[in-house]
Amino acid sequence: MQTTSTSLQDASDEILIQKYKNGAKEAFDVLYHRHLLKVYKRVKYVVPESDVEDVTQEIFMAALKSIPSFRGDSKFGTWLRTLTNHKVAEFYRRRSRKQEPRLAPLSEAAGYVTGGSSQTMEEHLFLQRLLQELPENYREIILLRFAEDLQFNEIADLMNQNLEATKSLYRRAITALRAHLEK
Amino acid sequence: MQPYNESTENDNELADFTDRLLSGKSAPSVSTSDEELLSLQKTVLRLHQAFPPEPLEDAKVKQMLVRLKSRMKREEQTAQPCFWRRFFDIQSNPQMALLVAAAAVVVLVIVSLPALQQPAGSSVSGAAFSKTSLFTVAGLAVVLFVIYWFSRRK
Repeated sequence: MQTTSTSLQDASDEILIQKYKNGAKEAFDVLYHRHLLKVYKRVKYVVPESDVEDVTQEIFMAALKSIPSFRGDSKFGTWLRTLTNHKVAEFYRRRSRKQEPRLAPLSEAAGYVTGGSSQTMEEHLFLQRLLQELPENYREIILLRFAEDLQFNEIADLMNQNLEATKSLYRRAITALRAHLEK
Repeated sequence: MQPYNESTENDNELADFTDRLLSGKSAPSVSTSDEELLSLQKTVLRLHQAFPPEPLEDAKVKQMLVRLKSRMKREEQTAQPCFWRRFFDIQSNPQMALLVAAAAVVVLVIVSLPALQQPAGSSVSGAAFSKTSLFTVAGLAVVLFVIYWFSRRK
């Protein structure tokens, strides 16, 4: 039993997916633990605090349902990132259908970061809004570096760019964010 | 437009500044003679401070996984009605319902056929046989009723 668990821990995402498809339900637990933090942090950067857990759950629910049809054309991490972006967009579509503000009012941030001042909360929500307003490629590079903690060379590999172009894109993204902050 | 070299230098400096900041080893000082770069460093710092790193507690991770699994289970149950309900669902499975009805008629005919064909004068064995047939029919009816009752229960 211990050996099975260890072998699952060491297995690649692709092998875990295959095992899950073959009926080893515990393979999903390993995938979940492996990717939860990245998904959670990414969601936290773009979704109001009170909805972070729910949206994260939605993403993993969708992943569970879609894994049987996952063909492995891209890496699981990339696929999950696309799914995350899709679910975040869906969250905002649902919100706008309910004619709620695009981002949460300050009152919704209650409970955010234990001990955080209201000024910190306000800043958090303000920057969240600005990130949402950035062009997708700018937002993406900021999220990859800050939320997912990927190094620039890893981001370059992911984006099929050279390191120089990646760093240049990053600087342009930060410049765009600054421009929004100064508005 | 900045010259290529200066621009590349700024790209590298801003990237290095971000790396040092996110590594958490030591807070990099926001200081440079280049005003543009200085202002970008301040933006990076502001972004980092607005989203302080907050580790997910083990208990929370487990709780979220439990919630996810119970929700999945609930959805599976809602999505899949029990076998007998599906079996007797005439609207979604009319062919099966017809087949069951036809099978019931055939069984009834087979069971009652010997009783109808019994020769005159064999009243004792005929009575015994018709009694057996009656029990079989009653048993069949009870089985069908029980199946129907189970399908209604869920």
